[in-house]
Amino acid sequence: MRSVMSLWRARWQRWLDRRIPAQSEVRLNQRRIFIIPTRQGLGFLLLIALLLIGAINYQNNLAYFLTFWLLSLFLVAILHTYRSLSGLLVRRQVSVPVFAGEEACLPVELVGERRAYQALALGWPPQPLQMADVPANGSTQVELFAHASQRGWLVPGRLRVETRFPLGLFVAWSWLDLDQRVLVYPAPQAGDLPLADAGSQDDDEGVRVIPGGVDDYQGLRSYQPGDNKRRLHWKAFSRGQGLLVKDFAGLAGRDIWLDFAQVGGGVEQRLSRLTHAVLSLYAQSQPFGLRLPGLELAPECSAAHRDACLRALALYGVKA
Amino acid sequence: MSASLIPRISLTWLLVAQALVIIPHLLHVPSWLIPLWLLCAVWRVQIFRQRADFPPAWLKGLLLLGVTAGVLLSHGTLLGLDAGVTLLLCTFVLKLVEMRKARDAQVLITMGLFAVVTSYLFEDSLLSFAYSLLPISALIAALIGMQQSSFNQRPWATWRLAAGLLLQALPLMLLLFVFFPRIGPLWTMPTADKARTGLAESMSPADVAELSRSGELAFRVEFDQAIPPNAQRYWRALTLEDFDGRRWSQAEFTRQARAPLPDWQAQGEPLDYQVLMQPTGQPWLFALDTAAPPDSAGRQAVDFRVQRGRPIEQALLYRMRSWPEAVRQAQLPSLQYRLNLRLPRGFDPRTRAWAAELSQRFGSDQQGLVNEVLKHFNQQPFHYTLRPPLYGQHSVDEFLFDGRRGFCAHYAGAMVVVLRAAGIPARVVAGYQGGEVNEAGNYLLIHQFDAHAWVEYWQPGTGWQSVDPTYQVAPERIEQGIEQALAEEGSFLEGDLLAGAQLRKLAWLNQLRLAWDDLNYSWQRLVLGYQGEQQMQWLASWLGTVDWQQLGLTLVAVIAVLLVLLGVWLVKPWQARPVAQQRYLLAAERLLATQGLVRDSGEGVRRFSQRAQVSLPAQAAAIKAFYREYEQQVFAAESVDEAALKLRYLRLRQALPWWQRWRGKKNAD
Repeated sequence: MRSVMSLWRARWQRWLDRRIPAQSEVRLNQRRIFIIPTRQGLGFLLLIALLLIGAINYQNNLAYFLTFWLLSLFLVAILHTYRSLSGLLVRRQVSVPVFAGEEACLPVELVGERRAYQALALGWPPQPLQMADVPANGSTQVELFAHASQRGWLVPGRLRVETRFPLGLFVAWSWLDLDQRVLVYPAPQAGDLPLADAGSQDDDEGVRVIPGGVDDYQGLRSYQPGDNKRRLHWKAFSRGQGLLVKDFAGLAGRDIWLDFAQVGGGVEQRLSRLTHAVLSLYAQSQPFGLRLPGLELAPECSAAHRDACLRALALYGVKA
Repeated sequence: MSASLIPRISLTWLLVAQALVIIPHLLHVPSWLIPLWLLCAVWRVQIFRQRADFPPAWLKGLLLLGVTAGVLLSHGTLLGLDAGVTLLLCTFVLKLVEMRKARDAQVLITMGLFAVVTSYLFEDSLLSFAYSLLPISALIAALIGMQQSSFNQRPWATWRLAAGLLLQALPLMLLLFVFFPRIGPLWTMPTADKARTGLAESMSPADVAELSRSGELAFRVEFDQAIPPNAQRYWRALTLEDFDGRRWSQAEFTRQARAPLPDWQAQGEPLDYQVLMQPTGQPWLFALDTAAPPDSAGRQAVDFRVQRGRPIEQALLYRMRSWPEAVRQAQLPSLQYRLNLRLPRGFDPRTRAWAAELSQRFGSDQQGLVNEVLKHFNQQPFHYTLRPPLYGQHSVDEFLFDGRRGFCAHYAGAMVVVLRAAGIPARVVAGYQGGEVNEAGNYLLIHQFDAHAWVEYWQPGTGWQSVDPTYQVAPERIEQGIEQALAEEGSFLEGDLLAGAQLRKLAWLNQLRLAWDDLNYSWQRLVLGYQGEQQMQWLASWLGTVDWQQLGLTLVAVIAVLLVLLGVWLVKPWQARPVAQQRYLLAAERLLATQGLVRDSGEGVRRFSQRAQVSLPAQAAAIKAFYREYEQQVFAAESVDEAALKLRYLRLRQALPWWQRWRGKKNAD
């Protein structure tokens, strides 16, 4: 039974992939919109049936009138529900990487050309869908959230876009593959790391770094773009001495290497610890290098370097 | 305990719709419903404003019990249409307070639509139908509001959308209305126990006097030929053959459906006409003598009345054919013969004595005897009045010999008593006489004040003969109508000052009244009367033969075509081309793609433009110019200038090597 279901699901996915291929922006049209009556719509049909029986039994033409009017309204609602989705442009927006365990934000832009769209619902079931309205000749940014449970690429899958507008009797929906994905860094995990010197792998004189240590406080220097904002000396700023940054020398003279091979624990634990180290070293404006099996990032101290390291940690061992 | 699940717009429209639904029902529901409804409405608004809480379960139970008890007290029952409608409205009102989720609001809207339909069972005039469009559109607006976000603050836009949807559904509805076959009732339903004025199967003179004071419409008649003169318009409803000394009633034998059909012979020219009668709650139809229904609208009964299987609870349209010169029952079955000679014992000795004297005087010349009685009415000082004195035990004696004041019921009743006492079978016929001609629509209006009673007596060979003693006393009643007959007395419609017929006194108002009645007549005839026979006739006149199966298929096809047309009109696929800027952007990117430059997914337009400028230094200026124009128009929200963008696009195309141009060429439009 399960295999039949999974077979069916796979077939459905393949069919969807052919019919609605992955694109960064999709315009909803008759190829992509599906429509069926909702529960409320079926209830409405039941009401019409009851009214019809009443009209027949009372031979009351006004009751026939209203019965047929509601039935016609039901039919017209098919077109209107379809219309409240048709022509909508759904565009993928850039999403920001997150750490595992956090909620990833995958924004999309909805563009309504020519007319407004109301009561659109987007999301990845079974999570609750998010509602949005789009003005005519305008666009709306919708921030969709997905839980990032593990590092690597978070691919939330096909996005469901649906609407029941205007009458709620029908639901029109589409499954869009906007090729949405977001990079999930390993969850940072605090812990002492043996920091290796460049070249002196076998030097048993390991240097320990106490995360966030303040012992190596060097003094103040003036702020430069790219400096960590947490290091700003606000007191000095409030005294009108300009933006000053508390400078930490770190372990000057020696480049710090974060080495996967030197960290204890399982793969995921090691990656988590390294992530934490990358963040704290960057926070201390400490240049560092990263060594993963098959990858080496030379010591540097910049946001781009930090991001490259985090990316490498996130994608370690992940198939592209 | 938040009300956020029901959007504000929907709640607004639900409250409005509820008021609109309830108003027409106020005429026939107990008055305690009003405070109950106001209480619930205020409560619900307070809940929405978070000033009050939803009622606890025990209070809900208590309210429901109280309402049920109230209905039981007011109607005496929980069954029947009236009690049912009151219960429906009570739950409709109470549900408002209990409404938490979207589901509850949907139930409320459904109940509202039901309540609108039940209001049609009580009142189906053109005005009340026009009014019902308000609650219907408000309910649909509430349905739409359920889908709208809670930030939406424009209730009128929602209503306009609802009205638009209803309008778009109108053509389909009309098709279904016209072509859906009208079948008979599947089972009997309870009907509204509404007090109706009209003829009853038993009546005293006072009842007829009561009717004569009502300006209500009884029925309308449209003749295929010219309208016959007033004096020939005797509309038979039923015959009254039982007399108990006070009241005349329909005989049990005559009422029975099993009674044998009378024999009669059609003679002369028939009259064809169409009658639209108001509901009477009685089974008989109105027709001129001698009526033979041409279709299944009714059945001729033993006393030549026309009867239907069940009481008429809704306006009824039927065709009728009458043979005024027909000979009715040349032979009278002995049972009927005896029935029409029966008189109660111990009443009216003076009348009996006079009848015996007449009988002796005329012997076998019964026609002479009848004429003598009529002459008596004509020559003695009888007076036609709606304000007769009260007659006592021997009412006929007192009327004939002492008071001599009365109206049709007195004259007809007295004459039948005299004829029966003289050995001539006779009976009272109850119905209407005359009618007002509506010149605007060329039809007759018969009101309750046209109610009349006359006499039928039987002669061997010639059968039943009609005679009207009132004519001998007040010929103007028969020739012109009751208003003229009572002109001197001024008692016409004295109890009913607001009756439409009162407007006759002002010429222009009267014209307006008749024009309005003409409109209502058309409404009743064309819309309400579109049932069974009428539908078949109408369809046959349009389509020749009526084949329901073929008709059904055609109907489905026509509806599908209409839906497709509406869909095309709604979606406007010819407008689906992207807006100009997008079109030129796509064209330009296809052009650049021929150079091997493709914008990555996620790559911004500006970034791509910079990349393209670097890789195609020869065309860098053209690329830059195009993209700058594009960005200005799209992102800087500048006015759309299609021509300027097109110019930049063309410059870009010209800048590219010629052999690659043709590939991008077809993409621009």
